[in-house]
Amino acid sequence: MTRRVVGLIIVLTVAWGGMAAAIYFGLTPLLGLDLQGGTAVVLTAPEGTDSELLEVATQIMNRRIEEIGAVQEPDIQISGENTVIVQLPGVEDEQRAIEAVGQTGVLSFRPVLDAVGGEIGPLAGTGTLNIDDGTGLTIEDDLEAETWLLYEAATPLEVLNLGPAELRGEHVADAVPVFDPNSAVWAVSLDLTSEGAGLFADLTAEAASYPVGDPRRQIAIVLDGHVVTAPAVNPSVSPETGISGGQAQITMGQSADSQQEATDLAVVLRYGSLPISFEVSAVRKVSGTLGADSLQAGIVAGLLGLGLVAMVLLLVYRSLGLVAIVGLTVFGAILITVFGLLGKWVGLTLTLAGVTGIIVSVGITADTYIVYFERIKEKLRQGLDIEEATEGGFKIAFRTMLTANTVSLLGAVLLWALAVGAVKGFAISLGIGTVLDLVVARLYTRRAAAVLATTGVGSHGWFSLEGAAR
Amino acid sequence: MTSNVFRRVDRGETTIDFVGRRRTWFIISAVLIVLSLGSLAVRQLNLGIEFVGGLGLQAPNPAGAEVGEIRDALTAVGVTGPTIQFFDDGETVRVTTEALEPGVEAEAVTTLVEVTGSVRSEVSIDAVGPSFGALVARRALLALGVFLGAVILFITWRLEFKMAMTSVAALFHDLILTVGVYSITGFTVTPATVVAILTILGYSLYDGVVVFDKIDELVEIEDDKVYTEIVNKALNQVLARSLFTSLTSLIPIGSILVVGSVILGASTLTEFALALFVGLAASTYSSVFVAAPLLAVWKEKEEPWQERAQKVERRKRAGRA
Repeated sequence: MTRRVVGLIIVLTVAWGGMAAAIYFGLTPLLGLDLQGGTAVVLTAPEGTDSELLEVATQIMNRRIEEIGAVQEPDIQISGENTVIVQLPGVEDEQRAIEAVGQTGVLSFRPVLDAVGGEIGPLAGTGTLNIDDGTGLTIEDDLEAETWLLYEAATPLEVLNLGPAELRGEHVADAVPVFDPNSAVWAVSLDLTSEGAGLFADLTAEAASYPVGDPRRQIAIVLDGHVVTAPAVNPSVSPETGISGGQAQITMGQSADSQQEATDLAVVLRYGSLPISFEVSAVRKVSGTLGADSLQAGIVAGLLGLGLVAMVLLLVYRSLGLVAIVGLTVFGAILITVFGLLGKWVGLTLTLAGVTGIIVSVGITADTYIVYFERIKEKLRQGLDIEEATEGGFKIAFRTMLTANTVSLLGAVLLWALAVGAVKGFAISLGIGTVLDLVVARLYTRRAAAVLATTGVGSHGWFSLEGAAR
Repeated sequence: MTSNVFRRVDRGETTIDFVGRRRTWFIISAVLIVLSLGSLAVRQLNLGIEFVGGLGLQAPNPAGAEVGEIRDALTAVGVTGPTIQFFDDGETVRVTTEALEPGVEAEAVTTLVEVTGSVRSEVSIDAVGPSFGALVARRALLALGVFLGAVILFITWRLEFKMAMTSVAALFHDLILTVGVYSITGFTVTPATVVAILTILGYSLYDGVVVFDKIDELVEIEDDKVYTEIVNKALNQVLARSLFTSLTSLIPIGSILVVGSVILGASTLTEFALALFVGLAASTYSSVFVAAPLLAVWKEKEEPWQERAQKVERRKRAGRA
């Protein structure tokens, strides 16, 4: 019997001490964005997209999101065959998030042939079908052809007549925002591949051959038919060589927004092209206040439910109820530790659906105790003594627990494997809860009931096991 | 008297003839199923934007804007037929519309911020394309189908085929009633609801397994009873467990239901908990009153059990004579 007591003390110490240690080392469960606010974007790739391409796309998205900054633990997952779910906790500007992850970005560098300011009207009259009659702008950007595109960033607004693309996104090796402390100017430092270097030198040499102030000195950087920027070649550049060596700087300016602009442009230049064109299927943004409210509701509901369940168990099962209540705290402590560890290791977040899954598994745990306690009562009524009843009852009850929990676990695993979205979070909680329930029953409950059976509280009076069975 | 009944239930000493009165239970279930299916046919389900696509906005309302004001402002920027709901004593407003063009959507958000006097970052947004909603629904149905198949196999292996089939029958019973409640009350069906319904499947089967496990155990011991008697005895013995389990399972879910609606208004939590609550209640009922009687009727048709029934009958007659 002392072996049982020692075992029980070890289990309790490991469970409660483990939780205390986890919390002390900051391993608290990660909260999903529906509990702390944030943005989730669901992107769908065309049917039959290669899974490797999808993988590459998520890597690019990951890097782009890091560039935005201020995102804690972004979570990008491929779900199903062609769906990508991006979760950005703490991001409250959903437009920027969508742009960061969803923009396909076919990036090109083009010579500017002409620029028309102010009034936008039928400009070229080339007679091709690809020109909008009203605005004179190119409808669908074609990298191989001349185009007329709006340059929104120019003041006043301009329409640029661009030649075919001479460099593409793949020619960019790297791009980083840089700050020159002497002139207090932000710029983007551009590194080109060896192939890109030659093309860029030709492009800039051509541009440098025009007089300063001529629109043809500009090089347009175009992303998906939008002119991102169109810097002019610096007066010092020689029309003989152009900008050679594969390195260039794009100067942004001194205004307050320049740093942001430089960062954004560097991101566009570096990760310009996602290999797949995604459709934004769903956007969900939860404000921080709503998240906090949901978390509070989940905790209050959980505690209230636990408290009431504890009362019922105590009333019906007397001192055995006490075993169950302590058992629920063991269950809770291990659960918090497990979620903390999984959050650290695999970035598992606890969502509202997950919290509900936990509350549901509290119900399952309570049921496990009831199945066991009913067996003990049955054995006591058959005339067995208390120790035989607790031990024998456990053996039969464990068989039932095993069958019933297997069915729940089966459901949880299938849900996790097959479902998308919130359902997954629920399935994970339910699955962990179901397994943990059996572990607690085997390691804790069996010992606790046996120890209780030997104490005076367990065997005499209203509060005893006998009292519950009468 | 009441304590006496409680005590007999607690000790498994009741002698309720669950199987004999099956006509009553089956009629109750049939009426409820007809009501559910009827409502489904007439009123259908109020499917959330997650399934049909659409836009949901939720914002605080410090300016105390009225429904009319909000509707007029939104209609002015090109939103057609928005549904506007208040909760949290009118301090929070929720707007639901069909899916909008990105431009109109951005304007709708801006307009809502202006009318309610809130801040843009305080607005919660749910925008779902119809194809994604269809995907969610399709995946849930797939999960349901695979789950059913796996469960039938598992119960057949662990207990027996007829128990698997009656469990699944009870499960459909619970599903129809739960979906029926959603149709009748007009509550929005969201992915959270689907999750809840899938959970019910688990509970429903769990309940059934506990009852069937007991029947299986008694079949070994009671070699002089007909199958119906064994089922009755098993049901009476697990009655206490069924009642307490239902109570302890319903309490946490009831508290989600109450706390969720008090703190959050008609929220995900509430949508979740309603399905769980109804489904759980139905599954407790069906495991005792539908699955077990069905099993008894079915098993009595088997030759060994018919032979035993005849033997018991002969013995009874002999005893009387």
